[in-house]
Amino acid sequence: MLFTDMFKLAYKALIDRKVRSVLTILGITVGSAIILALIASSSGLNAGITANIQKTGANILTIRNAGGFFAAGSTNTYLLSQIDVNYLKALPSVVHVYPYYSYGASIMNGGSTLSATVVGIDLSALPILYNGLTVAEGTIPLTGDTTSAAVGWSIANPVSGLPLGLHQMVSMTVSGVKSAKSGSVSYAVLASAILAQYGTALFSNIDDTIYISFQAATYLSKSPYFTGIYVVVDNTADVATVQNTITTYYGSNVRVISPGQILSSIQSITGQLTVFLGSIGAVSLFVATVGIVNTMYVSVMERTREIGILKAIGYRPKQIMGMFLSEAALTGVIGGFTGLLLGYALSFLMGGELAGSTIGGRGFGGPPSGGASASSGVVPVFSTGLIIFALVFPVILATAAGLYPAWRASRMNAVTALKYE
Amino acid sequence: MNQMPPSSVPAVQAINLTKVYRVGHTDYPALRGINLKVQKGEFLSIMGQSGSGKSTLLNIIGALDRQTSGKIMIDGINLRKLSEDKLAILRNHKLGFIYQSFNLIQRLTAIENVEMPLISRSTPEKIRRSKSLKMLSAVGLATKTNKKPNELSGGEQQRVAIARALVTQPSLIIADEPTGNLDSKTTNEVVDQFIQVNKEFGTTILVVTHNAEIAERTQHIVTIKDGLIEKDQYLQKIDSYSMG
Repeated sequence: MLFTDMFKLAYKALIDRKVRSVLTILGITVGSAIILALIASSSGLNAGITANIQKTGANILTIRNAGGFFAAGSTNTYLLSQIDVNYLKALPSVVHVYPYYSYGASIMNGGSTLSATVVGIDLSALPILYNGLTVAEGTIPLTGDTTSAAVGWSIANPVSGLPLGLHQMVSMTVSGVKSAKSGSVSYAVLASAILAQYGTALFSNIDDTIYISFQAATYLSKSPYFTGIYVVVDNTADVATVQNTITTYYGSNVRVISPGQILSSIQSITGQLTVFLGSIGAVSLFVATVGIVNTMYVSVMERTREIGILKAIGYRPKQIMGMFLSEAALTGVIGGFTGLLLGYALSFLMGGELAGSTIGGRGFGGPPSGGASASSGVVPVFSTGLIIFALVFPVILATAAGLYPAWRASRMNAVTALKYE
Repeated sequence: MNQMPPSSVPAVQAINLTKVYRVGHTDYPALRGINLKVQKGEFLSIMGQSGSGKSTLLNIIGALDRQTSGKIMIDGINLRKLSEDKLAILRNHKLGFIYQSFNLIQRLTAIENVEMPLISRSTPEKIRRSKSLKMLSAVGLATKTNKKPNELSGGEQQRVAIARALVTQPSLIIADEPTGNLDSKTTNEVVDQFIQVNKEFGTTILVVTHNAEIAERTQHIVTIKDGLIEKDQYLQKIDSYSMG
């Protein structure tokens, strides 16, 4: 029996029971679409985060006080100061050391308030820390300029409120300033540069940040203690050594964050997410498989007489088994293909949801930044492997589901099958 | 295997054939020692009451069922020694079945039904199409090849079944009350068809029937009663076959 004939007959048999076939196929379609969409969007999420982290370059270490964001409840009171900068500068392989201050701020823009982060840093560090960061308008203020700022894209072009022009005054309330009695200080700077759209890097959203000079930040905070220190290592290969040296020196007094480390922990989280969500999809696909077994079984029973006829006209048991298996396989082929299409569509919907709930626009250093999350969606990743899997796996499942009913069909007694009404 | 000339090998030979059905602990003998020889090219009818065992005999001759004891040979081949697969191949290559209830596959068209036995033996589509078309034309259904069984009359359906049985050029056709569901006019047409096939291709035809009129148009009548052959007689009215 020719392979093509077997599938032609299988196709005719499926067409003959249109509604039932469509329902069976639908089960496969949905199950495989869910799995696909989950895998594609979580690997898209992973890729997005990876790209974000890699944008900064893996050769930058962030040193932060042990307390605060990364260790809530810690009683450690070590604070980073110029002494630490000097120590870090003296380490082998270290090229640059940039201490910085970081505060949350709310900007008054007409009637609405915009959340932002104010970062005080040597402004010449910006192109070194953020690969490919460019200025959209104006020029980055010179070191020592205490009245001007480089303003992130989203601050200049807010989702609601008025856009901010070059050389306009930015008025804001800076919070978390310990030297001030109320903890917050009113502050104003001139926007002498508007940065081009960039996104998230080094765990903060550049587009939501106002960069002021280190001197201006010292004046604002009235404190010798920094929020953190960026350490630029000469090349990626030395990062681990430098990180070890620093960790050994400080013990638990500070946290040393390397992009690679963060990357691997995020990847393990998204990996677990993929497994978890994937298993939900697997359950639905399993249910669909049971559906095929059921449909096939009923179909074999209904076609008992037909099987008897086939036996009488000389079809061998293996051929009869092949005919039923190819019906099951065809169900899987169609289900897999439609599942791929549906999964593709679904993954874009799901990608948006994941982006909204997981990475959002929130940087590690600063307060939640509104607005920006809308622009950062997850682009689902459909690798060749995933597509092949999506097309082949349902066929294997469906064929396996058809095994028992097909075997039953092939073993039927011809005489009794022919008498079946 | 067999050195004898083909003509001397009987188309069907049954030696002491028995079949016992066992239900629970009770044995029901359906065949109790059948001895039968059918020569090649014969047109034979088997008669008998229902429950006489004629259907059982037909199923064993048709390689669909196995005997309890004794021997059954088709074209000199001992069926007992064949595996399920070999039996299927034998059915496909040597036998053609025709049933009272036609046994066509309802969702397939007339020509697709006729093609089915050829699909099993991997005949390419073009060849099996033309063979099937030729066969349907021979039974007078050239214009109804794409009709499904439920769009055809009983006589037409039986002619599709005949075409399906003949398309493989079998050496033996087994017909189980082929006219049981047909009116007398159509019955005659079908029997004419059998006679024509028997004459033209030399195909051995074995018909189980209740109808004495049909039996009288055959060469050889075997009557079965209670699992035994009651009467085995050859008729001499050779001239009646020529009418075609």
